[in-house]
Amino acid sequence: MIKLDNVSLVFQGGSVALSNISTTINEGEFVYLVGHSGSGKSSFLKLLYKEYISTKGSIEVAGLDVVQLPRWKTPLLRRKLGIVTQEPQLLEKRNTYENIAFALEVMGTSNDEIESKTNTLLDLVELNENAFKYPDQLSGGEQTRVSIARSLANNPVVLLCDEPTGNLDPELSIQIVSLLEKINRAGTTVVMATHDSSIVNRRKKRVIELANGKIARDESEGSYILR
Amino acid sequence: MNKFSYVIKNTILNMRRTPLLVFATIIAVLVSSFLVFTTLSARSIVQNNTVRWQNGTHVVIFLDDRVTTTAHKQLQQSLETYPEIRTVEYFTKSEAEEEFKILFKDQPELLSEVDYEKLPSSLRVNLNDPSDYELIIERMDGNPAVKEIRTSGEAIERLLSLTNTLVISASTFALLIGFAAFILIINTLRLAAYSKKKEIKIMRLVGASSTYIRLPFIFEAVFESLIGTSIAVGLGWGIIEYSKNSIVAESIFDITISDSYLIYLTLVLLLSSIIFGLFASFVGIRKVLND
Ligand SMILES: Nc1ncnc2c1ncn2[C@@H]1O[C@H](COP(=O)(O)OP(=O)(O)OP(=O)(O)O)[C@@H](O)[C@H]1O
Ligand SMILES: [Mg+2]
Repeated sequence: MIKLDNVSLVFQGGSVALSNISTTINEGEFVYLVGHSGSGKSSFLKLLYKEYISTKGSIEVAGLDVVQLPRWKTPLLRRKLGIVTQEPQLLEKRNTYENIAFALEVMGTSNDEIESKTNTLLDLVELNENAFKYPDQLSGGEQTRVSIARSLANNPVVLLCDEPTGNLDPELSIQIVSLLEKINRAGTTVVMATHDSSIVNRRKKRVIELANGKIARDESEGSYILR
Repeated sequence: MNKFSYVIKNTILNMRRTPLLVFATIIAVLVSSFLVFTTLSARSIVQNNTVRWQNGTHVVIFLDDRVTTTAHKQLQQSLETYPEIRTVEYFTKSEAEEEFKILFKDQPELLSEVDYEKLPSSLRVNLNDPSDYELIIERMDGNPAVKEIRTSGEAIERLLSLTNTLVISASTFALLIGFAAFILIINTLRLAAYSKKKEIKIMRLVGASSTYIRLPFIFEAVFESLIGTSIAVGLGWGIIEYSKNSIVAESIFDITISDSYLIYLTLVLLLSSIIFGLFASFVGIRKVLND
């Protein structure tokens, strides 16, 4: 599903975010991407959805050659992905329902389909009661769930989440992670960046640890303990 | 279909966000188009009215057809001996007919009714100094071969040069205002794009195509420039129709402008305004929507 081969990312100033990364993530896997701040987690995810373009190496995501993919075809890649950014990017002037529906609206989905799909997603992330609240009336965890619901609107095959539990207390974090696991069980491949050791240690999934832009460890399900 | 309505909805939303800028843009396009439309029409009208006086003809001596052509030729020869005259050209009845057809090409009723046999032949006189035309009138006075004399006079000379000045200065202003309209559109679009920064970011994230993201902006630019030009052209047509009916036909300023020229002018202006809008939107959002 995701395959990186000898991938490096060097920024214009010369700072190296990732160097010689090679790894494969299979369909249906749930992977935690961990590492200290600045280790390259966000950069790793951004390479996968072509927000950043790798300096070297090849990247394959959902059957697409990300590096060779011409710029105008980037939307094709994005349509296969669900992206939850580090800050939940919600539109302040739209309520929960409208924020989720937005992803369908801009794809030209018919009104009937928008309505039924948005309601299904509200159910999934358990935000029915908050459907008509605006982002500034939602808690951090609720905002994250809106963002997750929106990312799922167009049935992605891969879900990329950048620190979705970033500013949440442990209980809420577990809620979010449970939600992601539920989505994963339905068949979606999930990659989640985090530095929350309590979650990683408790949920027993595959863990890729980055350090200084390199893969420091890659542990299969259950064997990883993050200190 | 839903895609299209999304684009239209967002075009309108964008425009509602900056009503004053939109208004200013439309006004600028309107003034610019109006200047182009009216000066080109005016030039065409002046040209239609002065065809006879171009190519350096200063005096036209209409000949009496009851007199023989030999008498006409004699008159031509004697005219050629005058020091103030440079050339004299004999203009036959059939040439007169052709000229008439050009002059009144937009009035088919008139063309079909006219008895071309009655159009006189004439002598077209070119003077060394156009202001000498009164001398010629004096000399021809009482000559039996002469039916009527028309001179360009200095008025026509001045009119022609005035028209050229008018066309040049109006085009300059049209260009300047058009440039202002261009800047206004660019700024309107950039402002709209800036205020929708987050929305555009999310659209990118969920995989909306870049054409789709751009279309509302392109539509806005084309719409504004098309509206401005349409109003300008409408006003122009109105003014021409009004003058056609209000000015007497015999006056030197016959409003003779062919409908086909007006339609041509209208289409060219509308097409240009579409291209103008496309180009302005291209420049306006090229950088803003590129990351
Ligand atoms: N756009 C950029 N331009 C220059 N340097 C960048 C850019 N984005 C990231 N970096 C650098 O790349 C390195 C990796 O950054 P990245 O955001 O991937 O880290 P991270 O693991 O996500 O950190 P955090 O846990 O704080 O989110 C850092 O040194 C950062 O300064
Ligand atoms: Mg990060």
